[in-house]
Amino acid sequence: MTGEDPGPLIRLFGLTGGRARPQGEAFDLVAIVRTVGGSYEPADLIPEHRAVLSLCRRPTPVADVAAHLALPLNITRVILGDLRREGFITIERPRPATQTIDERIYREVLHGLRSL
Amino acid sequence: MDYAASEPGTTAVAPALAIKILIAGGFGVGKTTMVGTISEIRPLHTEELLSERGVGVDDTSGVEAKITTTVALDFGRITIREGLWLYLFGTPGQDRFWFMWDELALGALGAVVLADTRRLQDCFPAVDYFEQRGIPFVVGVNCFDGARRYDPAKVRRALGLVGTIPVVLCDVRERASVKEVLTTLVRYAVEGGQAVSSHLA
Ligand SMILES: Nc1nc2c(ncn2[C@@H]2O[C@H](COP(=O)(O)OP(=O)(O)O)[C@@H](O)[C@H]2O)c(=O)[nH]1
Ligand SMILES: [Mg+2]
Repeated sequence: MTGEDPGPLIRLFGLTGGRARPQGEAFDLVAIVRTVGGSYEPADLIPEHRAVLSLCRRPTPVADVAAHLALPLNITRVILGDLRREGFITIERPRPATQTIDERIYREVLHGLRSL
Repeated sequence: MDYAASEPGTTAVAPALAIKILIAGGFGVGKTTMVGTISEIRPLHTEELLSERGVGVDDTSGVEAKITTTVALDFGRITIREGLWLYLFGTPGQDRFWFMWDELALGALGAVVLADTRRLQDCFPAVDYFEQRGIPFVVGVNCFDGARRYDPAKVRRALGLVGTIPVVLCDVRERASVKEVLTTLVRYAVEGGQAVSSHLA
């Protein structure tokens, strides 16, 4: 909250050059991130970028990337926007859940919840 | 990581889908507890940094001045299978955070509005919000110890809910109970009022 030591926040913003919003087209918290296969990976990538590229070889939702990096969602999104701009990742635009959930997925979700 | 990178162009992209479910309700009603009860991942609680809206957020100077607010956001995950997840997002239903809800609600499957019968009015804004936007929601009446056990029909009436919206009594500390609430929501969101009429008071 306001009034607290802003130190950690400032450090986080250092990761993003102070930007609060990602570059380019907006993307959802559950948009699926994928590392572009075979893209050239420069040696000087910062650890956070490297971690994203490694993680997202498997399709991974934005929120999960944040969980893995242990970074706030906003910061994660700025990082992802940068990586997308460089062509290292793609970020899929999710369609509304009601359009994507077909009979099979519906059954899977209900079954999955039941067997938790 | 056993994922084998395929040759470009030959990659059969596995459909991956993350379904958003929102957890709303007044302060202290049990949102964080609910997400924590059911989520399989640990970093459940993040403080999101919010820039003042309307200022040049891409400006790299004067960073300090712009970081004015943080908002608590809980999120949790349930993996149904590889490539199919449910994500739960919980954040306060206070007026100054509605812009955050607008983003969270976009494309969401639906919402759980948690209610505490001792302070039922606290969930009015969330009920209004989802009603106005046509987002499917169920009301979970969190049965705190010592709170009078309410008849769901009375809660429905007090909230002015139309007949098909499910009202479920729950204890957000109990996994089975949270599962039931989520199952009710998924059924309601996908099948509409018919599917859950048997649950209704
Ligand atoms: N007795 C009881 N306490 C609860 C229940 N749900 C939440 N709490 C407690 O109420 C407090 C507020 O819950 P929390 O999940 O933080 O509420 P939030 O503000 O909506 O995120 C916490 O101390 C919880 O342990 C419940 O069903 N029964
Ligand atoms: Mg909370």
